[in-house]
Amino acid sequence: MKSNLKIVLAGEGGQGVQSIAEILAEAAFAAGKQALYIPSFGVEQRGGVSLAFVQIGEEPVSAPKFATSDMVGVLSSRSVSRVRQYVAPESLLLYDSSLEEEVKKVYGPGQRSVSVPALKLAEEELHPRVFNVIILGVLLSLINFLPLERVKEALERHLGHRFAQDPVLRELNYRALDLGRQYGDVRERR
Amino acid sequence: MAERPLTGERRAFMAGNEVLAWATLAAGADVMYGYPITPQNELMHYWTRLAHRFGREFLQTEDELSAGFATIGGVLAGKKAFTATAGPGNVLMQEPLSMAEMMRLPVVVIVAQRGGPSTGTVIYSQQELNLTCFGGNGEGFRVVYSTSSHQELFEYTLKAFNIAWKYRFPTFILGDGYQSKMYEPIILFDPEERGWEMVPARPLLGLPGRPGEEREPVHLRNTFNLEEELYEVVMAAAGDYARAAADLAEYVTFRADDCELLIVAHGVVARAALAAVKILRQQGLKAGYFRPITLRPLAEKELREAAGGARLILVAESAYGQLERLIKPSLYGLEQPVHGYFRPGLGITPEEIAAEAAKILNSAGYGL
Repeated sequence: MKSNLKIVLAGEGGQGVQSIAEILAEAAFAAGKQALYIPSFGVEQRGGVSLAFVQIGEEPVSAPKFATSDMVGVLSSRSVSRVRQYVAPESLLLYDSSLEEEVKKVYGPGQRSVSVPALKLAEEELHPRVFNVIILGVLLSLINFLPLERVKEALERHLGHRFAQDPVLRELNYRALDLGRQYGDVRERR
Repeated sequence: MAERPLTGERRAFMAGNEVLAWATLAAGADVMYGYPITPQNELMHYWTRLAHRFGREFLQTEDELSAGFATIGGVLAGKKAFTATAGPGNVLMQEPLSMAEMMRLPVVVIVAQRGGPSTGTVIYSQQELNLTCFGGNGEGFRVVYSTSSHQELFEYTLKAFNIAWKYRFPTFILGDGYQSKMYEPIILFDPEERGWEMVPARPLLGLPGRPGEEREPVHLRNTFNLEEELYEVVMAAAGDYARAAADLAEYVTFRADDCELLIVAHGVVARAALAAVKILRQQGLKAGYFRPITLRPLAEKELREAAGGARLILVAESAYGQLERLIKPSLYGLEQPVHGYFRPGLGITPEEIAAEAAKILNSAGYGL
């Protein structure tokens, strides 16, 4: 593991980018890592692209923001070019398969990347609401050092009140997480 | 009696604004007066959610002028009162804060700097240094802590109430949007369990006994008829401030003893500066850093010593030279050139500072 893993996530407001960033950072903290999460919170947030910055490491994190990141997750069409400044040649770009064309246009065919049909999987196999949790699952498998239990506990802290009202939701989130993880695993083996 | 907000140690991962809510509770703050403004909003939200559980109070006022004056009213009545603001709200609050400075009132103010001038951005900057240190029509008899981590937000907020009530200077926690909004690990604790001595609040007005006969009269004035009257009061405050300065001034250094380039930074930027020094040292470049924790009063002597031992000085800040202006008088007469890395309203990364530092060292012939 890198001593300080830097991750940017971007999507439309309401896609749950901030939720999965916070859950990821919180799970890392619970697993004994150092972590820092900061959302972008300009006024453009309403009706604009929502960015989340996460850093995970062994040493206390220095500055909250950074120049380029190790992983960039892109969840929506407008986010593709919005994250341009954070993408270095060695960054791993994770994006929804529906964004294939935009990604190739902005980053060219040579960019290190992983595409995941998360939107399609969510719609066809689960529920559109858990699209972001599939992405979280993929991230987990790519990061590959965070115990699943810590992530489930963080999910519980964030969504426990909703799970209590409708226990099916918990199952749905767990399945989304697993689906994402499996997908990430498969991608890694290739 | 209401339960204590914290017992034992609580390890947590939370946003800075939530840390501040716990810190003010743990410090024994009785009441918060405030008016919403980003990026301090959630502090108010957390306080309103938590305060009643511990018998504390909250009042949302009609604006920041009123929040500042209400805080003054709170401390006059003997309550540990505080407020929090940012940007244009900090501007408005300077009138009551000047009054607090004049009357030596122990108000505690938390500032979450956002971009400026004017409405600027709701995000982040270090552009409220001038305003927080020297705002208002006064002399800057204030104590200003510039924090750089959640642990410091917590511990300096505890300390701020003690310092305010002990020395009776308005006391500030100068944070920023990043510190307010970011999440990082923190250990929360009850200060008295840790052996901290918490300075109690006491009423400043309406004391028992007949003034002039059974006790000294209290003259808390912000209006004077004679030049001489005002002069006497301001000079007394100046003397108290100068005498307290040595006790109050705090700073941190890292590898400053043998450095060629001294990086000076405060607040959240100091994190990047410290990381930059580590990067530069790994490259074999002799960098060090000086971070003032108190911007008012400044650790002038120690800063001068650290600067005097270096060949070059680099000031890095998310403002256009506010920190540089603050420190320059301490460097008067030194020959070391001072370079500024000014990024008003922009976050600064360790790599940027390291690159700038290497450039300066190389062009001055002290590089590799």
